[in-house]
Amino acid sequence: MRLELGHIIIKDVQFGDNTKVEDGVLFVNKEELINLIKEDYHLSTVDVEIARPGESVRITPVKDVVEPRVKVEGTGGVFPGVLSKVETVGSGRTNVLKGCAVMTTGKIVGFQEGIIDMVGPGAEYTPFSKLNNVVLICEPREGLKQYDHEKAVRFAGFKAAAYLAEAAKNITPEKIETFETLPLVEGMEKYPNLPKVAYVAMLQSQGLLHDTYVYGVDAKQIVPTIIYPTEIMDGAIISGNCVSACDKNTTYHHMNNPVVHDLFDRHGKDLNFVGIILTNENVYLADKERSSNWTAQLAEFLGLDGVVISQEGFGNPDTDLIMNCKKIEAKGIKTVIITNEYAGRDGASQSLADAHSSADAVVTGGNSNEVIVLPKLDKVIGTLDYTDIIAGGFDGSLAKDGTITVEIQVITGATNELGFNKMSARMK
Amino acid sequence: MVKEIERTGIPVVHICTVVPISLTVGANRIVPAIAIPHPLGNPNLDGNEEKALRRKLVERALKALSTEVDEQTVFEN
Repeated sequence: MRLELGHIIIKDVQFGDNTKVEDGVLFVNKEELINLIKEDYHLSTVDVEIARPGESVRITPVKDVVEPRVKVEGTGGVFPGVLSKVETVGSGRTNVLKGCAVMTTGKIVGFQEGIIDMVGPGAEYTPFSKLNNVVLICEPREGLKQYDHEKAVRFAGFKAAAYLAEAAKNITPEKIETFETLPLVEGMEKYPNLPKVAYVAMLQSQGLLHDTYVYGVDAKQIVPTIIYPTEIMDGAIISGNCVSACDKNTTYHHMNNPVVHDLFDRHGKDLNFVGIILTNENVYLADKERSSNWTAQLAEFLGLDGVVISQEGFGNPDTDLIMNCKKIEAKGIKTVIITNEYAGRDGASQSLADAHSSADAVVTGGNSNEVIVLPKLDKVIGTLDYTDIIAGGFDGSLAKDGTITVEIQVITGATNELGFNKMSARMK
Repeated sequence: MVKEIERTGIPVVHICTVVPISLTVGANRIVPAIAIPHPLGNPNLDGNEEKALRRKLVERALKALSTEVDEQTVFEN
């Protein structure tokens, strides 16, 4: 399967009479976008704001971040099984509005939503402070149930991203990246001497607003399966979860998964990147056992030499991570795990809830309990009403002078477990 | 907590959903629970069924508490 990603570099976003891209500027017809999102009767009010890098703006509570992409050639449309029909995606050409994103905010759905600062110390912890953001402020209809509220806002993000990306459809990209994965046997014939490496992507699927969807299927209902890496670049995996902001994989993270991109960089050079094994993180022990048995079995079946395993969230998913690691290692296949830490504010506590001696190659995304003081910023998109209650905040987080003292857990993407951010640690 | 209480000489049963974590932290008597969001019950069952399920868990825990063990033991039945 072969996909070209056409980059259309966006340097600025502005409101305008027509939604279009001109000389690297994305113009947004605000009214048209609001009307599109308001078609969903679950939402009572919708507003749109723009947040640019360096502006004194704080966005909270952030639910999801989405990158605008559009299919130009090849089957299917972005977000298959969700926004587009359930057609297989991941081939042909997809144009991307690079340098901008859609963010969703508004009344809180679940207590694990995030803060994104566009300037100051907090901005250093989130990759999204470097993007030109089109922020949707969506408020639910009176009496709307929590799950319907989450779904309505989730869909609002995808609809807005797809709407903006239409403007990229007929534009010649400045840069084209090509990604190709051959069917297993062909790949082995082409690269007979390279180690076969796959990526085990663990998807958050604990339920109770901790959900991820694969081609529209709730990931807690899948058994581990194999997917071409380029499928996820077209939005085959989407986030529907309110896990702690620092280590939830937003839809943007899934579309731009750095494990996938880095493995592609080395594909055909020093390894043969054969594909992705998708698995979940469920709340029944039997599910954890079944899924980890199955990832190990698929890894063996593919004749792999090594795997990279990434986790999402923390706590009991640490067990899924360790089970995957232990069982795949037991098949004689080398593993590297990517996780993060909840090691207490001083970093002295045990980092993970579970451990095993076969987890001897570990990459961390940082300690989520680290405390940060965020200065008062000029403008808030969304509301500060929830600062004391979102995960990582505490009673008194928001001080009278407007500063916010919180654990970096509240910052969207701060300790991401795909290696999307800059923090890590090295043992000496 | 399991280990600290046991250190004083009082036997402890750890009822927990994620048995591997309980094994990692060193509990000696472990009774598997139902699920992480509802360890001691199952909201999908009707009242009587759930009560029976809960009773079974408590009885299993009491049995575990009164059983001599010389290594970490998971009481499945």
